[in-house]
Amino acid sequence: MKSAHIQHLYNRIGFGITPKELARLSKKSKKNVVNELFTASNKTTVLKVDISFLKGKTYKDFKDKEQKKELQKISRKKVLELSTAWFQRLNNPSEILREKMTLFWANHFVCESKNILFVESYNNALRKNALGNFRDFTKIVSKEPAMLAYLNNKQNKKKSPNENFARELMELFTLGQDQYTEQDIKESARSFTGYNHNFRGQFTFKEKQHDNKEKTFFGKSGNFNGDDIIDIILQKEQCARFISEKIYTYFVNENINKKHIDEMVAVFYKDYNIEKLMRFVLLSKWFYEDENIGTKIKSPIEFLVGINTVVPYKIEKTRQIILVQRLLGQILMSPPNVSGWKTGRNWIDSNTIVTRLRLPSVLLNNAEIAYSEIGDEETMITNFKKRKLRRKAFIKVSADWNSFEENYKNNSNKELVHQIITSKINKGTEEMLERNQQLSKHDFVVQLMSLPEYQLC
Amino acid sequence: MKRRDFLKQTTFASGMFFVPQFLKAFENNSMKSFSNKKVVIIQLKGGNDGLNTVVPFNNDIYYQQRSNIAIKQNDLFKISDEVGLHKSLQPLQDLYNKGFVSIINNVGYPNPNLSHFRATDIWQTASDSNEYLQNGWVGRYLDYTKGNPYSAIEVDESLSLMLKGKTQNGLAITDPKMFYNSMRAPFFNNVVANYKDAHLSEHNLGYLYNTMIDAKSSAKHIYEQSNTKNTFAEYPKNIFGKQLKTISQFINSGLETQVYYAGLSGFDTHANQAGTQERLLKIYAESMEVFINDLQKNNAFDDVLILTFSEFGRRVKQNESKGTDHGTANNVFVMGKNLKKQGLYNDLPDLGNLDKNGNLTYEIDFREIYATILDKWLQVDDVAILNKSFSKLGFV
Repeated sequence: MKSAHIQHLYNRIGFGITPKELARLSKKSKKNVVNELFTASNKTTVLKVDISFLKGKTYKDFKDKEQKKELQKISRKKVLELSTAWFQRLNNPSEILREKMTLFWANHFVCESKNILFVESYNNALRKNALGNFRDFTKIVSKEPAMLAYLNNKQNKKKSPNENFARELMELFTLGQDQYTEQDIKESARSFTGYNHNFRGQFTFKEKQHDNKEKTFFGKSGNFNGDDIIDIILQKEQCARFISEKIYTYFVNENINKKHIDEMVAVFYKDYNIEKLMRFVLLSKWFYEDENIGTKIKSPIEFLVGINTVVPYKIEKTRQIILVQRLLGQILMSPPNVSGWKTGRNWIDSNTIVTRLRLPSVLLNNAEIAYSEIGDEETMITNFKKRKLRRKAFIKVSADWNSFEENYKNNSNKELVHQIITSKINKGTEEMLERNQQLSKHDFVVQLMSLPEYQLC
Repeated sequence: MKRRDFLKQTTFASGMFFVPQFLKAFENNSMKSFSNKKVVIIQLKGGNDGLNTVVPFNNDIYYQQRSNIAIKQNDLFKISDEVGLHKSLQPLQDLYNKGFVSIINNVGYPNPNLSHFRATDIWQTASDSNEYLQNGWVGRYLDYTKGNPYSAIEVDESLSLMLKGKTQNGLAITDPKMFYNSMRAPFFNNVVANYKDAHLSEHNLGYLYNTMIDAKSSAKHIYEQSNTKNTFAEYPKNIFGKQLKTISQFINSGLETQVYYAGLSGFDTHANQAGTQERLLKIYAESMEVFINDLQKNNAFDDVLILTFSEFGRRVKQNESKGTDHGTANNVFVMGKNLKKQGLYNDLPDLGNLDKNGNLTYEIDFREIYATILDKWLQVDDVAILNKSFSKLGFV
């Protein structure tokens, strides 16, 4: 398989590739390379943090106001810990495709919770089902405690239906806007009544709260429950189309090619098997066409983890990992709202471009980054005195330059250019790089990663 | 390697002072259609409880629904026989008496879902509640007027949807000096200087370069321009005070920015609301007082209109933990020197007429306020920017 194509594949299903791996894979056929990807992602390594603080806690403890407050406080910290663990996992994944897909689904089935039990369960549900069956996946998501709470489905009761989940299920998770009526939303909401969970985060179905009368949804009538609704939604080809478009946008190109989508829909609509769909995409000819290579704007996580593929680094403090994500506009486990992060050009504004271009020096050359506390989106900023108005920080990072040396020892600066950058390079910038060939390899690679071109993959 | 050495090695004297022709053209570009009118938009983030801000102190329902948290008459300063403002807003009293304040009640929109994020998006994009827009109303104002990035500035770390347009984004900036310095690294100059293709903008790479160039030239312009005027007014020493200080410095130095956006967080008062709201409203009012006086001293207040909103108000009935839950319609404050309608713009909410969730019903669509500001104040085509026609109000 062509090196440039392997690079492209690994940029999209992962976060780049080391020269060593590239050399190994370039001896294989496309089919074998893609096969290997799926085999490597066969199993699921769940993501966990220590939650022993909950050991022995009962429902009563959660009812007690003081205890509840304390538990919530620890829980919020644990969520940050899990978010950090996720970031570390992305930097050192064994199931690369599965992890990248997990990241994709986290921006599809968008959800947020401050309860560590719920968050852990949710995040791993995304991971386990990332390459599974979309039908099962959607049903599982609808029963996850994090989602039941996030979109108020647990407040959805026979006497007072809450339509929040029913609406987002169709609008954001399965069909897209304008594919249903307000009446469909109402009937769907009625079908999901009675969904709830216990304090341990297990799904419970409250028979008494469930509306047992007949509903009419998308022209079909019956005493539907939530699973039935999902089955009926998935009968629409539009669902396969909506998901295919989203996958195409994320993995291939933000500009939709209708012909390619039609092909994907034909594959996906049969049985909603996500793995089959991904295999089809990654084996297709068009995935490797020039217009799809090096043209996508990296998400902040793709950018941060991508640097790590070149020069492994570790940000020492949890707080600073979050800070860096915040400055770039994507904090793991903290989506802006249920429609998720807006991708593509939306990642880039006057601040984020500057931060991105400076960050390689900050992470790898101990440069300083200036920031202010104003952008902290926490709605509850209660203690202003403790917060300084403006700060400069040295992000404490340990960079493993030895590993870079080892990986790139056979590459000249000139060769480094196309190993680090897969996009077209602006002519003036190319000339500048030409003039900079005499720089040390360290400086040269930092410079490469500080270019606008490096924001693309 | 030391940072300075790194920078030195990546610097080329030959490229440093070279600025491509089209960039120069951009930097000298003065807005021909520049009107001197400015709008400062302030969001009280988290959903401020409007009922405990503008208080109907003669209303029995109010006291019944809020047995622990209703504001007593003694803790208000009264602006009419029926209405008092929270005592924390005392610093606004003088401004209020001078007629610089207009309070518009019952502002909202149909079918709110009570989510902070969604509500914020709706206020920022001016969308319907079932419509997801990818650009904000101020961003579309920039598109329409072909404004520079610095025609709209958010004093914040990252750019909100409100300032993102289809073709033009505003600028997020907290500190002009910091922003300028962070982009003064020789490496930036070098990359910008070497960008020769002015026709790439339809591609992502072009977009990246253009954003960088926009940021860089704006940063320079803003820094140099705002440096000419220092503010000596004593702003409260908190984040909000600092934001307003930065805005006043921009305005007073004659920067050609027409829309500013800033926010004060912390209004999500589900529990023990009283103390939190008291403290936050105090921060708000004290900062606003200094800000407006500062503008007046510099003869800039005539041209400034200030809009304060919150993404939603709170539920009428207090909850079990001396707080309030997410609600719907809310009041909006408009401040300016030549308001057509001073004081209370309209009646307070009818607490006897709530929706089935116990929330206020709205009377004025928030987009009528935007339409009014666009049409009557900034004098542009509000329909083109808001994508719809809304009736105009009479506050300016």
